[in-house]
Amino acid sequence: MVESFFDKKTECLTIHVKGRFDYSCHKAFKEAFTAVSKVKFYEVNLADVSYLDSSALGMLLLLRDHAGEEKAQIRLVHVNSAVIDILKIANFHRLFDITE
Amino acid sequence: MEQVLTILIADDNPSDRILLKAILSQFGHNVISAVDGQDAIDKFDPHTIQLVCLDIKMPHKDGWEAALEIQRIAGDVFVPIVFLSGVTDPIALSNCLRIGGIDFISKPYSPALITAKLNAIVRLLVMQKTLEEQRDAMSLYNEQLLNEQEVAKVVYENITNSNCLKDPALSTIHYGTHIFNGDVILAAYKPNGGMHILLGDFTGHGLSAAIGALPLADIFFDWTKKGFLMRQIIPEINARLKGILPSNMFCSAAFIDIKVNNKSIEVWNGGLPDLLFFPQNADRPVKLTSKNLPLGVLSPDTFECQIDPMSFVPGDRLMAFSDGVYEALDLSGQMFCHSVLNPLYQGEIDADQSVDWLIQQLEREGVLANPHDDISCLSVRLDTNIGIDSSEHKVSRGHDEAPADFSFEYVLNADSLRNTDPLPYVLQILTTVPGLSSFSSQIFMILSELYSNALEHGVLKLSSDKKSSSDGFSLYYEERERNLANLQDGYVKISVKVTSDNNNRALILYVEDSGSGFDFQDVNYDISNTELLYNRGLALLDQLCSKLEFSKGGSAVTAHYHWQVGLDGRAI
Repeated sequence: MVESFFDKKTECLTIHVKGRFDYSCHKAFKEAFTAVSKVKFYEVNLADVSYLDSSALGMLLLLRDHAGEEKAQIRLVHVNSAVIDILKIANFHRLFDITE
Repeated sequence: MEQVLTILIADDNPSDRILLKAILSQFGHNVISAVDGQDAIDKFDPHTIQLVCLDIKMPHKDGWEAALEIQRIAGDVFVPIVFLSGVTDPIALSNCLRIGGIDFISKPYSPALITAKLNAIVRLLVMQKTLEEQRDAMSLYNEQLLNEQEVAKVVYENITNSNCLKDPALSTIHYGTHIFNGDVILAAYKPNGGMHILLGDFTGHGLSAAIGALPLADIFFDWTKKGFLMRQIIPEINARLKGILPSNMFCSAAFIDIKVNNKSIEVWNGGLPDLLFFPQNADRPVKLTSKNLPLGVLSPDTFECQIDPMSFVPGDRLMAFSDGVYEALDLSGQMFCHSVLNPLYQGEIDADQSVDWLIQQLEREGVLANPHDDISCLSVRLDTNIGIDSSEHKVSRGHDEAPADFSFEYVLNADSLRNTDPLPYVLQILTTVPGLSSFSSQIFMILSELYSNALEHGVLKLSSDKKSSSDGFSLYYEERERNLANLQDGYVKISVKVTSDNNNRALILYVEDSGSGFDFQDVNYDISNTELLYNRGLALLDQLCSKLEFSKGGSAVTAHYHWQVGLDGRAI
């Protein structure tokens, strides 16, 4: 399940993913970041993610692409132990700001 | 909705039967009459009759019995049944609908009501026919799709399997969840001996995942054959995948370079679970962790190659698997990496049996029966004969060769020594001579020995003593990288002269470096002395070439090579 919230003051879009983060979230996740314009910061909250697969990594790359690749300011926050391992293997800490 | 139907009517009462036939015929329908239930069954043909009207009370099988029998004969074909009845008992009428009738017409007949009911039935028949056509079209389409996928699969497998996976040193597991597998295992012999291996796992499964494997395999095989190095092939694959894949697709992969000349491997891991290196003298495997982003994520200008070098002793093993293994769930719902794989990580599993052991675990935990992800694994028994005994030469025997006579000189100064590998280009020019192209692996081996000696010992002044210990190899490697990055001055000059006519076919390779040379009088050409890696290279050269001459105090060497047209394997 994907929920999102845009704070106009801080220009930060928070995307909260819950449960399994896999291809079933693809549409909702893409809509979450394409629906809002003038976003400066992105925060993806992974606290309630129980599982993350390679298509979820692909969606994060899609978000990064949308946010301007090298210039993207995307934080992955509350990353739990189920997920950190997978992000580490893929070396995603070189692309995203990751906090546990 | 005008449509002519063929209607079967059964009624034992002649006057009712004739009346109904007259009404239906009047609307233009074809009517077949039956005198009782059995007669109706006998006259029923599901391919010609579109509607059946049955009186309820008839001798020799009543309307209900006839209805059941007719439905059985009709099978998959939908033929509506309407009951004719003088009774008005609601239970008897509802029975008609319960056993599969779609409606009933009560006697005495009203032409207006019959018309209305027939129209409703025609609409139903048209709808049914449309559904059947759509269903048939879908199943045909699905069949075609599967057929096309099977054809595409053959092409795909020919491309991704045109390699040396059958080499006895390799054991592999490869299971897909779909017709197409998003995992690839590629292996190819290098022209100078040894092997390149790649295990890749594309995002997703099925056709969309497999399609990226085609350019990957293409570059892998083509560039390996041409003599490019792992650190040149990986950025090329990355750039190509980045260019063609959508941004949410990438390929987690491990690239393994087995170098038989100096008994070492180099491993690049981008996004795969830890590779396991099993030295025979250690009680648990060394983990080679992913230090790179997967292929196809970074643009070429930000891409880096973090490579782990290791030296090996023949019999050591290296194992790699995709996350389909690592994240597979065991029967208790735990991921393999936290449960089943532990004995492997602890070194409790015999490395030679590790692939068989893994297959057993996958079977026992029910993963193979119901895989959620593509599963692949490879294990290679490292040895110095990989790609040496089995190199394939395609030689057309006995053809005449056009004479050739050319020479060129290629001088690389510091900047180019840092950034280029000249060997594939030199080899490409040399193999324009058809006779020489049959010997490309030997020539490449001579070239690469001469060049790496000139670069590493001449220009970079590295001492080969370091390579003799197992730690030493990675130290040597680090020093090589460091010295090369800091290189300000120095050169390597490669001069090539080819003369080929009917009597004399000769290649003369002259390689000179800016280093201070070495004491070449003392060289030991005994190839059996495997302790001395540097000398071993020279001994190899000595075997391949007809003459090896040092000059300029050891900073220059000339290699003479002769070949015969129509022969393969060994120069004279």
